[in-house]
Formats: sequence, structure tokens, C-alpha cells
Amino acid sequence: MLELQGISKVYEEKKVLEDINLKVRAGETLGVIGPTGSGKTTLLKIIDLLEEPTTGRMIFDGIDALNVPAFKIRRRMGMVFQETPILKGTVHDNIIYGPRLRGREPEEKEIKRVMELVELRGYENKDARGLSGGEKQRLALARALINQPELLLLDEPTSNLDPISKKRIEEAIKELKGEITIIFTTHDLIQGQHLAERIAILDNRIMQIGKPSEVFKRPSNRFVAEFVGAKNIIGGEARITRDKLTIIESDDLKIYSSKPAEGEVTAIIRPEDITVSWEPRDSSALNQLRGEVVRFEERGPLFQVQVECGDEIFTIYMTRKSFHDMKISIGSIVWIKFKASAVHIIR
Amino acid sequence: MDEILQGILKALELIITLDPEVVDTTSRTLMISISSTLLASLIAVPIGAIIHFKHFKGKRAIINIIQTLYSIPTVLIGLLVFLLISRSGPLGSLNLLFTPWGMILAQAILILPLIMGFSITALKGVGEEIIDLARSLGATEYQTLFTLVSEARYGIMAAIILGFGRAISEVGIAIMIGGNIRGYTRVITSAMALETSKGNLELSIALGIILLAISLIINTLLNYFQEK
Repeated sequence: MLELQGISKVYEEKKVLEDINLKVRAGETLGVIGPTGSGKTTLLKIIDLLEEPTTGRMIFDGIDALNVPAFKIRRRMGMVFQETPILKGTVHDNIIYGPRLRGREPEEKEIKRVMELVELRGYENKDARGLSGGEKQRLALARALINQPELLLLDEPTSNLDPISKKRIEEAIKELKGEITIIFTTHDLIQGQHLAERIAILDNRIMQIGKPSEVFKRPSNRFVAEFVGAKNIIGGEARITRDKLTIIESDDLKIYSSKPAEGEVTAIIRPEDITVSWEPRDSSALNQLRGEVVRFEERGPLFQVQVECGDEIFTIYMTRKSFHDMKISIGSIVWIKFKASAVHIIR
Repeated sequence: MDEILQGILKALELIITLDPEVVDTTSRTLMISISSTLLASLIAVPIGAIIHFKHFKGKRAIINIIQTLYSIPTVLIGLLVFLLISRSGPLGSLNLLFTPWGMILAQAILILPLIMGFSITALKGVGEEIIDLARSLGATEYQTLFTLVSEARYGIMAAIILGFGRAISEVGIAIMIGGNIRGYTRVITSAMALETSKGNLELSIALGIILLAISLIINTLLNYFQEK
């Protein structure tokens, strides 16, 4: 459906996008997630041919999109901006704007369908500029959908909305999934995870792309790990021991991993894979570290406990029961342990 | 004082009784100024939109020149057009001098910068994001331009009304290009200048009241559009 090949964009010597290669298949929902300034809006504008890339090619449905009149490609796409401008006139005037550009009058049932999808039925004759922020954004979505786009681009469509409007937009996107190809940007990880089949983590270049569960569980580099909120990210020098295990040395810590790696690496241990005890125990866990409890807080049904081992602070999730049974307090000296197989190594 | 009061009363009588001279001069004035405003708008609005829409070198300088021409003296435009359409001028063969057509042309030239400049300002108020929006919804470049003008329509209407206000109230062109010919090119302002000098104050005051009423209507319309 859409293929970007080596797309880059430079503004006044600042690289906003670098070597973007991306394939999106028809009917797919792709979430582009990244912090502010990571180039999300620029990427969508380049896809919608509103911005010209500095280098690269874009293939849309087999057509070299940068070499045909832009409006012909744009008419097959729809875009909703972060703060979509509203045209003067009524809601109905806004809805029929796109079809009129194409020289057609939309049928009443078409209008009804898109208005129902965004839950704006009955608003047709209202002054569009008098709508609330959430209603305006839903109108923007309806205005894009009436043109029956094959590719829908949504630039942080819910970032400035109240929770109810946000939910309505998300529900509309869910209903459209599979029916049309959708690329949306967000800085909301949870939204990305819920709505997208694949997510791309963007920081001027695509840092990782894959199914949300893959990206969250196995971030491929430190940026992604930190961005997706991974805990216990430890950098160090790795070498392989005689037992074919990897040992990662960082200042005064030694961590074993069952994944082979050598040289400068970053290791991640998920908080739920670490257990806490008062004494070191014989167990299959190769990694046993002594440390001091420096902080804890209640997080719903779990307790998040932070233990300082050498220079590193480990975050561990404990159930309420085991936390109370152990009678842990600030300053407690405890042992933490995790298996070598729980140490995930990234670049 | 008594003379002025008498003059005003007589003027009101002329207006109420629809004095043929008053009606004739007023309708000609409106016809000439409306025509010149339409002509100027047809040229100024699209060019203003293109200037706003396109990015090119010297854009700022062009806008500066346009804004400088807002206050150009009407007699200067009168002289320029006179040279252009007088018998020996480049457009002399068109025989426009001392005709309503010549007046329309000169008034249009006078108010062209005003309508163009204020149209550009109105378009600036619409915001660049409307351009992206129109394009993203499938507009061609021409349709995008049309959308931009349509979004700025109230501001552009205000610019046109402002232009009309300047056209109808000027006197230099009316005399220099129109020649103040009774029943042919005499308009409210040139008639007032002449009648006052002749001492025919009633007619002058009557025409003055009408001009004031037109100004009031223009201002009301201007406020209406500016509030939109």
C-alpha cells in the first residue's frame, strides 16, 4: 500500500527525519510513537505530500507518488491534524467540502454514516466554529472519512482532548481498523499499544518497528527501552565465559545473562522477573545481589520497591501480601535475585 | 446661523421631495463608485491572494509599496490618468477623458492598493494551516486559493467597502478626469465643490447629508464584517 524508501528531511541544516524506510500494507493500523520533536508530524505531512522530503522515494499503491500531481494522491488519503482548522460555516458545510472539491455531492446516507461514526449526528446545522475542541476533532475525522480515503493519517488526534472525546475518537479508529489503512502518531504509549497492529518508535529515525508486545518486551536499543518506560536498564561490558554464559560487568556489579553478547551492551531486567528475600538462597537464579531498600510506593495491587545495589537502583514489583509478609521498610538490607534468562540484552 | 439652518431645512426638503438634480447626481455617483470598486476588486483580490499565497523574493517590498500607495493623493492619480487618457496619451484613442468610464478607471486605480493591501491582511488572518487543510482534503492549487479567499471573505468584504468609501468621497479625480459636466460626469463631491462656490448652499448641504448617510451605511457594514 505505502512504501517509504530512504526518506529524509532537513530544515535549515537540522535533520528532522533521517533514512526512513517503512512498508505499510493495506488495511494495517500503524502507530508512530515518539517524543515531541521526533519528526512525527513531518513524517505524516511528507506522506500526505504536504511537505517535500529532502531525499527518498514514496510509493503509494504502486505509484511513484513524488512524481505525479500531488492532489491526485492526496485525494486518495485523508489527514486529521493535531489541531485541525475548521472552515467557516456549518458542520454540514465542512463535511461536504472534500466531496465538492472532487465535483460530487455526497448522498445523505454517506453523511449520516460518518456523522454516526464520530457521534455527531444532529450537529449538521450548527456553526462549526462553535463546537468544543473534542467535537471539532471528531468533525475533522468525519470530514476526512466522507472522501473514502484508502489511507487515513491521524496526527496526534487526541492529544488535546478531554477523556470522553479521546475515547470516542479511539472507538471510531477501532471501528475503521481493517477497513482502511491507518497511520497515526501519538506520544501516548498506551494508546499506541491499544490501537495499532504495529508500532514504530520514532526519534528522527525509526528506532524500532514491530508488534507492540514485541517492542515493549524486547526493546532493541536503549532509547526505545527508556522511551517505553523499561526499568532496570544497565550498561556494561559483556564477555562470554567458559560455561557459554555472558557476564556483564558494570563498575561494581556482575550480571549473568543466558543471551550471548560481547562488548558494550545494555541489559534490561523486567521488574516482575526479580524476587526479594532476606537471605541469599540456593536457587537456579545465577544473579543474586545484596542491596538496601531506598524507596517503595503502592501501585494499585502491587508495590514498587527500589533497591540500591552498588551504583545501580533496581526496581522490583512485589504483591501487597509478600511486601507486608516480609515487613520491608526503608533501609532494609535485602537480597534480590533473577535468572540469567531474564536478562535481556540490547545494543 | 440662521442661513445655515435655512440651508439645512431647504436641503432636507430637496431630499424628501426627491429633487431631480439630487437624485440624478446621487445615482450617478453610486453607479461610478460601485463600478470602480467592482473593477478594482476583480483585479486586487486575486492578485492579493497570489501575493499572499506564493513565496517569492521581494514579497515584503511589494507589500510595503502597496501599503504606501494607500494614502496617495487623488489629484496625483487624476494627473496620471489624465496623461494616460488625454488625446496625446497612450490611451487617448479610447476617448475616456471627461467620461464616466475615465472616472471609473481612475477611481479603480486609486483604490486598487487599498483593496489589495487589506485583502492580503485579511488572508494573513486565515492562517497557513488552512492551506494544508484544503490540500489534505484534495484541493488543487486553484481550489486552495479559492478556499483561502472564501475563508477570508469577511475581511475581504471589509477591504472592498473601505475602497468604496475612498472612491465615493474623493473629489480630485471627479473634477480632473470627469470635468464636472452637469448631467454626465457630475458626482456628489464635484457638485458640492461647485455649488458651494456658486453660493447654492441648499444643494451642497443636501448632497453633503446624502454623502454622510452613505458613509454611515459604509461604516455600519464595515463594523458588521469586521466583527464576523
